[in-house]
Amino acid sequence: MVSVRTLFGIDSDLKVPAFRERGAHVPDIDDAYRFNADVTLAILAGFAWNRRVMVQGLHGTGKSTHIEQVAARLNWPCIRVNLDGHISRLDLVGKDTIVLRDGKQITEFQEGIVPWALQRSMALIFDEYDAGRPDVMFVIQRILERDGKFTLLDQNRVIHAHPHFRLFATSNTIGLGNLNGLYHGTQALNHAQIDRWNIVASLNYLEPDEEVAIVQARVPAYADEKGTRLVAAMVAVADLTRKGFAVGDLSCLMSPRTVITWAENCQIFSDTALAFRLSFLNKCEEAERAIVAEYFQRCFDDELIESHLHQIKNTM
Amino acid sequence: MNAVNPAPHRTRQQQQVDELCVAVIRSLSGEADVTTQAGRLRKGQKILPTHAAHLQTDHQRDDFRSFRGAADSIALGLQYTNPVIHQKYCPILPVERLIFELLEQLRVETMVPDTMPGMRKNLHHRFEAWSHDFYLAGLTESAAGILLYTVFQICWSRLTGQPVLEKTEGIIESTRAAIAPLLGIDLLGMRRHRDDQAAFALHARAISDIVGEMIRSDSEESDDAKKANGKEEQGKNALRLLLNFDNDETDVITVAASGRSKVLDDAAHGYAIFTTAYDTQVEASSLVRKELLKEYRDRIDQRIAALSINIPRLLRQLRALLAFPQRDNWSFGEEEGYIDGRRLAQLISSPSERRLFRQEQFKPNANCVVCFLIDCSGSMKAHSERLTVMIDVMVRALEQVGVASEVLGFTTGAWNGGRSHRDWLRVKSPASPGRLNELMHMVYKDADTPWRRARADITALLKADLYREGIDGEAVEWACSRIRQRNEERRILVVISDGSPMDSATNLANDDFYLGNHLKEVVGRQALPGQLEICGLGVGLDLSPYYKRSLAIDLQQPINNALLAEVAQLIGGRQRR
Repeated sequence: MVSVRTLFGIDSDLKVPAFRERGAHVPDIDDAYRFNADVTLAILAGFAWNRRVMVQGLHGTGKSTHIEQVAARLNWPCIRVNLDGHISRLDLVGKDTIVLRDGKQITEFQEGIVPWALQRSMALIFDEYDAGRPDVMFVIQRILERDGKFTLLDQNRVIHAHPHFRLFATSNTIGLGNLNGLYHGTQALNHAQIDRWNIVASLNYLEPDEEVAIVQARVPAYADEKGTRLVAAMVAVADLTRKGFAVGDLSCLMSPRTVITWAENCQIFSDTALAFRLSFLNKCEEAERAIVAEYFQRCFDDELIESHLHQIKNTM
Repeated sequence: MNAVNPAPHRTRQQQQVDELCVAVIRSLSGEADVTTQAGRLRKGQKILPTHAAHLQTDHQRDDFRSFRGAADSIALGLQYTNPVIHQKYCPILPVERLIFELLEQLRVETMVPDTMPGMRKNLHHRFEAWSHDFYLAGLTESAAGILLYTVFQICWSRLTGQPVLEKTEGIIESTRAAIAPLLGIDLLGMRRHRDDQAAFALHARAISDIVGEMIRSDSEESDDAKKANGKEEQGKNALRLLLNFDNDETDVITVAASGRSKVLDDAAHGYAIFTTAYDTQVEASSLVRKELLKEYRDRIDQRIAALSINIPRLLRQLRALLAFPQRDNWSFGEEEGYIDGRRLAQLISSPSERRLFRQEQFKPNANCVVCFLIDCSGSMKAHSERLTVMIDVMVRALEQVGVASEVLGFTTGAWNGGRSHRDWLRVKSPASPGRLNELMHMVYKDADTPWRRARADITALLKADLYREGIDGEAVEWACSRIRQRNEERRILVVISDGSPMDSATNLANDDFYLGNHLKEVVGRQALPGQLEICGLGVGLDLSPYYKRSLAIDLQQPINNALLAEVAQLIGGRQRR
């Protein structure tokens, strides 16, 4: 048992189980990673009390990484499976394959990732949970229940889950499908599915201070006072794009990942405006760039060439 | 056509400025329902009050940065002013109110987040520009004016921590020295309670009361003495304009007039038609010369090009509103599903390959037809150009989403009844003859013709002499019968009109609301759930008495993204997300 306070710096008396040895599947610890207290506690509940935890949030907020980093600190082995539209039922469950044994071809059942992980002390993370195909989701449905046994039909075998098997998922939507047109390829989830997740943690909007700290941790050159001011302004622009998206003015928004990219590009080009254009603005629709330029003006007190002010100068 | 004249160019810029500002207000405040109509800010259906004097901007006078500043200030007001508290402390007397509103706005302007230096600069710029205008307009010439100006300057300087405007520092010097001791405590209190609206309001109220009292007693004393001074009068008049608050709250779109029609109520067989002998249905393009159509088309193309409309956003919105996933084709090479016969050979040649199935594929598909029915009555002539632009953009956008669209129009064959009316006179004018005019139904574009082939025909809408009178009920019936024959699952009729049904001959021979009641009856009968959807697009008029789903738009100003988005919402019949 380890203390949450010492390990994650969260003000809580909680103690959680951890492994002593670091196995081959344990992710590497990223010292720069910043934990979000609520989400961390939710994930820890998943590890400690065998709850099924789904982390939901907009892209680039670091949902999977968050789970991985918690696992890394608990020395818990962990694998990620991306549930894109091409993962099939057979990939998950297993299939008969032809193998060579003693020079002869024989068919042999090869376990898929689910039965394999189920029998080990392993945290299985399903990424892009809402992009999975409906038929695949029903395979997962059975192991979602805590004492759920997994039946391999063509093997006549029932697999019992290892007591240290854990299951997590990350998704962009809360199973509602692609409502705002931002996440193509996501599916509306069956409500029976959603119902089986014990904890749904939301990792959407970080507090600006926290986001600044994350960016600074990634780009250490901005750790000084001047850098803090710059990064805070960047985060403020990002925040405005998110609000602009929420009210329907923009069709894309800046994720924390983009902010980090922007900060990195700033170092490459040593020009904030140029880096901004290359990291985000060019992804926006032509007609929306003037709005983004307004956001930029508010936060940097500087004009982009996309700004309306420049446009009128050019036409006059 | 001569070159584009400068006037629309200018308004397009104004419109862009308005749109940008309102977009910034929305994102800064997080209020999604703030929009702009004819340069007026609205929140939902209500007009957003911007009473603080320095928020009144003018395209003729102010630069873009001033608009930015005003927008930022309004956004801060939305975030930090509680309207209930504000209303509670707000004085009634105009001078006091002017001061109080301004002070509250200055309070929220101090709430600029540290991460937004650009915003602080915009606010500063706006206040400075406004002060300058105040001074240049001669408002400081009168005793009341200079007093107000000085109070504003002192308060602003105190709240923002900036020195007062350098240019006018000398002018306010003596007034400042005189009133500073009177206001000292409250100035300090205001600065201290910037974060607490109610506590701040007490001090702001105290200041406005003191100053208001001073101005009133001052003007009573000196009324007779200074009457001769022309400049003073001029300043006072301008000041009176500043004090004009509530005129903007009365701006409400008129509702279409409606009432009962006794003639229609009493008629045994309902709506009657005197004769259908002269009714016609024509291709509108056949009424306009080819060369003229081409000219019209060029004009519309130029207008649309000048508008900078965000077509992708409109498409996205229409798709979300009208398209639903539907089975469309198969996806092959799947690992399960239906066996794909063509791949069985592959199973034998390479048994490990399991992708021999096919599955049904679902794609968003708009199984829908939208029909625009345009009222071509005389008063619509004034809107024909903007209307054509709007229809053209919508038709094109709908087509890209895969929605078939029809553009129809209705008018009469003649003014005041024409041949139909003359026939009625000839048979000695029997009572309650019913409809008494020649109908003329026009097809600008039918649903099977793609926009590309109909692009010239649509512009026949510009032909002014086709606009006569309007008999809406029968036109709606006709349009409904047309789209009922379509196979699409969802059929939407959009009636665009700027007034109630109007035909002078029919109205004279029957009674005032004869045609209107027929229209109501037709809409009620046709718009049965699951069959047809009818909505009304009122041009400067609220059509809700006739259509349950209706929207009033203002075609006095150029077509913009917000307007098209609203029209798309109306067609789709769903609320903004």
